[in-house]
Amino acid sequence: MSKKMIRVLLAVVVIGGAFATLLATTMRESAEYYKHVDEVMPSASAWYGKSLQLHGFVVAGSIQRRPNTLDYRFMVRNGDSEVQADYTGVVPDTFKDDAEVVLKGRLAPTGFKVDENGVVAKCPSKYQATGTGGK
Amino acid sequence: MAVLGSFILLLAFVLSSAAFSVSLVGARNRRLSLVEGGVGLYHVVTALMLVASALMIHAFITGDYTIKYVQHYSNSAQPLFYKFTSYWGGLDGSIMFWTTLLAVFGSVAIVVNRQRQRLLIPWVVVTLAIVEMFFLFLMVIHNNPFETFLTSHPTDGQGLNPLLQNYYMAIHPPMLYLGFTGMAIPFAFGIGALASGQLDDGWLIAVRRWTMMAWLFLTVGLTLGGLWAYEELGWGGYWMWDPVENAALLPWFTATAFLHSVMVQERRGMLKIWNVSLVIVTFFLTIFGTFMTRSGIVQSVHAFGEDRELAMLFTGFMVLTLVLSFGLVIYRMPLLRSRNELDSWASKEAAFLVNNWVLLFAAFFTLFATMFPTLSEAVRGERVTVGPPFFNQWMIPVGFIMLFLTGVGPLLAWRKSTLANLAEQFLWPVIVVVCALGACVAFKIPLWASGVAFSLCAFVTTSIAQEFIRGASVRRRATGTDIFTALVGLFSRSRRRYGGYIVHVGIVLVFLGFAGKSFERTETVSLKPGESFAGLKPYTMTYNALTVTQDPAKQMVTADLTITRSGKAFANMYPARWFFVGHEQEPTTEVALRRGPAEDFYVVLASYEAGDQSAHFQVHINPLVNWVWFGVGIMVMGTFIAFLPERAMAFATAKVPEGSATTTLILLLALGIPTLARAQTPSGGQIIAESAMERELMGEIMCTCGCRLTAANCGMPNCEGKAAQRAKLKELIAQGLTKPQILAAFVKDFGSEDILSRPPDSGFNRLAWAFPYAAGLLGIGAVAGMAVRWTRRKGTEAGPIAGAAARPDLEDRLDDELRDLD
Repeated sequence: MSKKMIRVLLAVVVIGGAFATLLATTMRESAEYYKHVDEVMPSASAWYGKSLQLHGFVVAGSIQRRPNTLDYRFMVRNGDSEVQADYTGVVPDTFKDDAEVVLKGRLAPTGFKVDENGVVAKCPSKYQATGTGGK
Repeated sequence: MAVLGSFILLLAFVLSSAAFSVSLVGARNRRLSLVEGGVGLYHVVTALMLVASALMIHAFITGDYTIKYVQHYSNSAQPLFYKFTSYWGGLDGSIMFWTTLLAVFGSVAIVVNRQRQRLLIPWVVVTLAIVEMFFLFLMVIHNNPFETFLTSHPTDGQGLNPLLQNYYMAIHPPMLYLGFTGMAIPFAFGIGALASGQLDDGWLIAVRRWTMMAWLFLTVGLTLGGLWAYEELGWGGYWMWDPVENAALLPWFTATAFLHSVMVQERRGMLKIWNVSLVIVTFFLTIFGTFMTRSGIVQSVHAFGEDRELAMLFTGFMVLTLVLSFGLVIYRMPLLRSRNELDSWASKEAAFLVNNWVLLFAAFFTLFATMFPTLSEAVRGERVTVGPPFFNQWMIPVGFIMLFLTGVGPLLAWRKSTLANLAEQFLWPVIVVVCALGACVAFKIPLWASGVAFSLCAFVTTSIAQEFIRGASVRRRATGTDIFTALVGLFSRSRRRYGGYIVHVGIVLVFLGFAGKSFERTETVSLKPGESFAGLKPYTMTYNALTVTQDPAKQMVTADLTITRSGKAFANMYPARWFFVGHEQEPTTEVALRRGPAEDFYVVLASYEAGDQSAHFQVHINPLVNWVWFGVGIMVMGTFIAFLPERAMAFATAKVPEGSATTTLILLLALGIPTLARAQTPSGGQIIAESAMERELMGEIMCTCGCRLTAANCGMPNCEGKAAQRAKLKELIAQGLTKPQILAAFVKDFGSEDILSRPPDSGFNRLAWAFPYAAGLLGIGAVAGMAVRWTRRKGTEAGPIAGAAARPDLEDRLDDELRDLD
């Protein structure tokens, strides 16, 4: 019994260790920092080029679209900080003035460059989904 | 009304505490009167919750906007159906709905098991009453749905969000809640068994079917959520590992694990601690999922808002659940000893064990990755997130292992498979896998992900088919009937096993659909009216015009597209954006979708310029998506078979009285007569037939004004489309054309079959039409098979069973398994 216990324990340790290592390595590749605009902007240069999820609110009246394209430019604000964001693509239904958004992309000196399909608009407080599904 | 509602909730809380304490004392002192009193009190709580729900629904339907919750989620313009579903549209109401469902389930479970599980019942009441108390406490203290405005109240409500005004969204949350609350019943019985020490397999039998049912609801609920996302949100997919989705997936994993491992305990008396732990963990995860989506602990685009106090209450309850439950497990450890040891790794129980580990790993991986942002914030002070690619990277291999085990499980014997046995069982599946892999290489399908998925699907399908064929042929030889009757006999003797196989077939189809994901194509295009786009071969999409229409609830901007496939007319599609009154700032995307067995053509109107009418479209080609939904349908069917009570299929094995074949024949004839009678009717008066034909055809042709209704049903005032259709129809009827000719003319003029409200009888459409007939034929075949079997039985009963002698080992094994699995 005790010999069996040791074998089982050993197996658990080896398999568990392997999984943990795999998990750690794969996670390093795909992890993204999740930050609010006012956490990032005061030390903006430190964040240049890093994969980032930026949380903030769309400044009212700042959404511009280049005619005949899907190129968007808008300001995102949280607290006292603001940053300009550029995005090309389809925006979700709930993207509008004052919407709470999470942008996936990278920060550059020229502003925040949003990835493809990187705009996730948080539903306004009125929208309280009841279950699963969608973005 | 609102005051009454609040009072009922308070009363329900008090009574469930009473049910709790009375049952506890009754159970400990074995006082029957107290036990019965506790049960009665619990039923009263159920009744009160039903009354409270009725009050809430009444408030919604009558528009009682003094109640904050009603004002927030409904308005007077909302259709009645959505007023009704607004009940669970928000946080407070959904908690109340949850509580009501739990109360009802609890009452049903208590009534059903009252006689058989006499000793468990008081403990079941104790457990359910605690859960009820917790949720009622939440409502009374924190989230009273009957809360009213203190001062003057608004005259109208704010309305349910347009995104939620969708058929799927109306039935998807209740399905999930049914699944979630259903899992509380196995938990209550598990705790009952632990507390009372009645840890034989009795409690398992009581909860097996409950778990199956709750699992079914969870499966359907998850699928409906996916369908909603696919059809309503317009991003072309159905699953993106959002925390709220994951919350519902977690208990699904553990419940699936339990449904498998329970068989090991029934059959071999092993894994007792494991099973009771799985039941506890499943229940815990349902509570945890509710907590995750309602406390703001994880950032999700559609989680409920942040709520510290609620989070604390939930945490307290969850800790209590875990400590008490696992405390009981440890206390009862001596009673939970295994009767057997694992004999060999080449055995069914080993396969089940590995399947359980994989499922559990899937659950904990999902939990870990979902909670990772919260965890990292707690540990490092920085919120670090992981996205869908990370989930996919891990869950694809995990899914493959599960799929592989699905194929391996049936091929292994209980206790120990011999080498000869393995060779015989694995021969065909392995041949098929090799062929499938070869085919993937030959057709240049990328091997990782899709190639492996297709091969594994082939593997599982072969292994299941082999099980059916072997089982049926052995049974046929043993009973001397035809192969068909033998197959029915298999189901009737071992519903759970063969129903389970059907569920596995469904799983295979679902995976087929997942595999199609790697072939999807997406393009974004910008077109002016009259321009075409041919970037996604073999389709060409022509943008005809942009129209604006209006109805009382919304303004609709609709693009008119003509799609051809390899030069042939394919479809007319109308993606749109709807601007609901009061929600003008957030238009809803109305996806235009053309489904097909091979791929879906999916168009979204992303934006448009009012000036020159140019528009942007996002086009998705989604291969094999429909197999996901279809596969879930098969899973539901399989679950129903497994779920059927003992007697449902007794007819297949019952002794048949004399002359039943004749009776069946007469019955069949009687059923046939109405069809004959109907076949004679269409020769009535000419004039009546004409107007009837017109009316009928109006119901078959779609109105062209963009209302998406048939011409007969279009309610638009001064609808031009309808008038034009009617005029054209009159003319065609006057020309003396037959119904199919008229429909063909409409299709020809319009350019596609979309003008018809029902698919015509051609090509793939024939498959849809053929389905009821196929079902009918199957039914006739079933009856015929029965008749053959009944007439033969006499002969075979007299003589010895001949066929079985050929393979006594196989026959023994089969009979052994059939006997023990059910």
